Order: sequence, then C-alpha cells, then structure tokens
Amino acid sequence: MAASLSVIPEIIRITVRQLLGRRRTLLLLLLAALPVLLAFIFQLAVPANADKYANVVFDTVSLSVILPLAAVLFGTGAFGAENDEGTILYLLAKPIPRWVIVAGKTFAAVGMTVAMTVGAVLLAGLVDLFPSGPDGIAATEAQVAAMVVGSVCYVALFIPMSLLTRRALVIGIGYALVWEVTLSSLLPGIANLSIRQYALGVADWFFQIHKEPARLSSTTAVILAGVLVAVALVLANWRLSRFELPGGSD
Amino acid sequence: MTVQTLPAPNDSPLDAPAIELINAARWYGNVVAVNDVSFSLGAGVTGLLGPNGAGKTTLLHMLAGFLAPSAGIVRVLGRSPHGDPSVYRQIGLVPERESVYSFLSGYEYVRFNARLQGMKNADSAVRAAIARVGLEDAADRALGTYSKGMRQRAKVAGALVHDPQVLLLDEPFNGMDPRQRMAMMDLLGEMANAGRTILFSSHILEEVERVATEILVLVAGRLAASGDFRAIRALMTDRPHTITIRSSDDRKLATTLISDPAVFAVELRQNALSVQTSHLSAFRRIIATASKSAGVRLKEVEPADESLESVFDYLVRR
Repeated sequence: MAASLSVIPEIIRITVRQLLGRRRTLLLLLLAALPVLLAFIFQLAVPANADKYANVVFDTVSLSVILPLAAVLFGTGAFGAENDEGTILYLLAKPIPRWVIVAGKTFAAVGMTVAMTVGAVLLAGLVDLFPSGPDGIAATEAQVAAMVVGSVCYVALFIPMSLLTRRALVIGIGYALVWEVTLSSLLPGIANLSIRQYALGVADWFFQIHKEPARLSSTTAVILAGVLVAVALVLANWRLSRFELPGGSD
Repeated sequence: MTVQTLPAPNDSPLDAPAIELINAARWYGNVVAVNDVSFSLGAGVTGLLGPNGAGKTTLLHMLAGFLAPSAGIVRVLGRSPHGDPSVYRQIGLVPERESVYSFLSGYEYVRFNARLQGMKNADSAVRAAIARVGLEDAADRALGTYSKGMRQRAKVAGALVHDPQVLLLDEPFNGMDPRQRMAMMDLLGEMANAGRTILFSSHILEEVERVATEILVLVAGRLAASGDFRAIRALMTDRPHTITIRSSDDRKLATTLISDPAVFAVELRQNALSVQTSHLSAFRRIIATASKSAGVRLKEVEPADESLESVFDYLVRR
C-alpha cells in the first residue's frame, strides 16, 4: 500500500509537465487573467462599487466560464494527453493499482485547476474586495471556497469521461455550457445535480455572494459534492482497470 | 495446415512456461486478428515473424495485458496478464509506437520507469540500463530531440531497468542503424543467456534470423509455424520455388532441365522459361550444369516468388 502511494508524486509530476506543455494551457492562462484585468478596471473606474461588480464578475465569468473550462481542459487532458500522445502504455505497464493512477491524475488536474481559478479570484479579490473591509475579505474567502469545491467536482467528473470517450473535451464543454450555465440557472429543480450550485452552496458558508441565498444549503452541497466525487472516481478506477487498446490491423 | 510446436528451452514439467497461449483468439467485431493460437515459451529469444497485418501486435498486446483474449487462455509467468497489474513487476514492454514523453530527458524517462516499478535509490540501475543501450552521451537530452533509433533504445532501457523476467518487444529494430541493430541483438542475446524470456516481433526475416533461436510465424492471425528457427528456415528454403529463366535457347534448356529430379515442372513462355523446383540451393548448381551441357547461354535467372509474403503464403497453405 505504502509502496503504491509513493508513486503518486511521480504520476503528478509527469501529468503536470504534460499538461503544461499543451498550447491550450497558455490560452487558458490568458482567459484566467480576465477577472484580474476587470478588477483593475473597476477599481479605477468605479472604486465605490467595485466590490459589487467583483461579485457579478465572479459569478458570470470566473464560476460560469473559467472554472468549467479549466476543469474540462485539465480533467480530460490528464488521461487525454497520454492517449493522444500514445504514452499511456508506459504508465499502465507498471505494477501499480489502477486507483493509484487515477488518484495521481486527479490530484494533478485538480491542482492545476485550483491554481489557475483560485489564483484568478484571489488576485481579483485583493484588488476589488479586500479594500471594502471584512465583508470583502469574507467574499473573497467564499469565492476561493467555491472555486476549490468546483474544481474538485468538475475534474472528478471529467476524469472518467475522458476514459469513456475520445470526445470528452467536446462533451465536457457542451455539458458545462448547457447544463451548468444555462439549465441550472433556469431550472431550480436540477440544483441537486449541478456542480455550480454545489460551489455556490459551499460559498454561502463564508459569505452570501448573491442577494438571494444559494439554492442548496452548505451542508447539502458538501454531501452531494462528496457523493459525486466518490462515484466519479470509482467509475474512473473501474474503467481504467478494464482498459483495452483500440483494435488495429496488426 | 500443420502447426509444428517444438518444446521451448528450459521448459520442464516442474516449471510453468514463461509465456503460454492455449487456443487464444482475439477478434474485433467481425475481424479476427488472432485465431486459435497455441504455443509456450521458456528462456531464450523468440522471433514473432509475420507480414504487416498478421496480428503480431495484437498478440503482443494480449501478452502485455492490454487486450483480453476473446477466447482461449493467455498466461505470462503462470498468470493472466489482463487485469493483474502486479504481473508487470516481471514484464518489460517495448511498444511499436514511437511516442515517448518528449519533454523528459533520457535519464528522466528511465528513472520514471524505475520509480513506477517501485525501485528506490534507482540511480545505479537507471545508469546501468542507459549504458546497456549505449545512450550515456545523450542521457541528459530531451527525448524529443532523439532520432527514431535513439528513442527505440531509450524505450528498451526503460523496459529493462527493473530486470524483468519477460521482455516483449514490438518491432524493436525499427529506425536503428546497422550498428545499433547489432548492439541491440547482442543485448537481447545476453539477456536470454541470463535466463530471460524475450519475444520480439518483426516482419523482416533477416532480423529474426540473426538473433532468435525460436520462431513463431504468424500469418493472417494464425500460427503458420513455430519451433526451431533452422527447421522453419529449411521449410522456407526447400518449398517449391518458381524461377524465370531467359536464355539463348529456352526450348533446348527446358529439355535438359526436365530430366533432373529436382525439377518438377517446366513451362515455355514467350521469351522465357518458367521452372519449378523443390530445392532452390540444388537448383543453382543444376542450372549451371544444364546450361553448359546444352550449350545454352543464360541471360537471366530470377526467382519469381521470393517475397516474404509468398513464403508466408506457402507456410499457411502447407
């Protein structure tokens, strides 16, 4: 057991280097700079209301666009890059339990997603929210918590998706835009099945970002997020344990 | 078709063979990639020979645990490799695909393999593996800057760093220059002498001939022949050959040749003579003697069916 766990850092290292080497990571980094840029603009243009605008930007840009995009790119890319580049054989031809590989890949993708999304909201919060006092600090904490929970849930969902289909990136983006952004806002009934709502529910624990409280209580959000992550990772482990190379002529 | 299965070296009743297939098959939908293949292998170098598309890679992937057999049994060191990662402690795999972690240096790549094998303080083993494939000078360079042959050698170093009992290599000599090939063949021979079981695939007869003591010939997913290399080679050499001859007097030469027992068919064609013989090596002497005694000048003597595919076809049809 301990010997198996000791290889997780190695898997994390190789995954992070593989993900960092992709051009799409650079594009994502530019996108993540958008809320920080907007924070500076608000602070210069409307310093008195900058904190209100910051919360709107958090919900509409950071939580609804940047977080799912980062998670889908890193979550599907953790195994997708190995599949695309044909290196997955080197990883799988090793005496490592498959759940250890899933754990290493998940840690790497969550770490990258958290670094990018939390970095963006933290910097934007420092510019726009911290100057407004304790409420601003609490709002930043709430945003950070939402990003951490959202990152873990989205990545956990996209990891098995990338093992089940080669079109995981397209399906993941479609799911984030249609289900999470559009339907979960319009249909209150699907809040129990929305990662965005889990993130907002956890955020409420620290600070109520919107005028209305989140659709899920913080406790419910944490429980549902935990169930989602557990089911997704069990599915990923099951799928990887039954991994087969695609058929060829030779 | 008759399949010869000769006992593998070091294959005693007390020891399970390192590699064993019993009526193993693999199909994808309606396409049969490997069909009812049985053999067992012990220590030594075995060449898996067959034309492109014969099912060599599918067979190696079944042995490596990346494909479950659709029917039959596949065992490596007495265990089913599919779904049992612990078996990789004793298996080294060199896949055909050229892909590598291009951002890693040669040293980092081999160390990555060693660490995932659970080796602690692997530095000396990593350096020894790199030295065995002759990549010391390039060990600190990124794999992305390596030539195809160097990448192949790095892959071999990564596969043998944990000193596996069984080494599976898919077209390992691809991209290597002649000197590198010879060095790699020597390395495989050394490992076999140390009691390791090595199975490598190739579609080039000469590669197999130089390094393998045992041979498996796979054609269209079926095992066309297996056993001692020399016996199979003799089968390939002594099969019926068709030779096209152009001479100053084809009819006169035909009359002389047909009287020789090694020649069993002669056909006169326009400006050429088609001769069928069962002994190619003997025929080289016969044609020289026959042309001399008939007073005929030979213009061209050309084997008409020397491609590897035609050799394989013959083995399947036997």
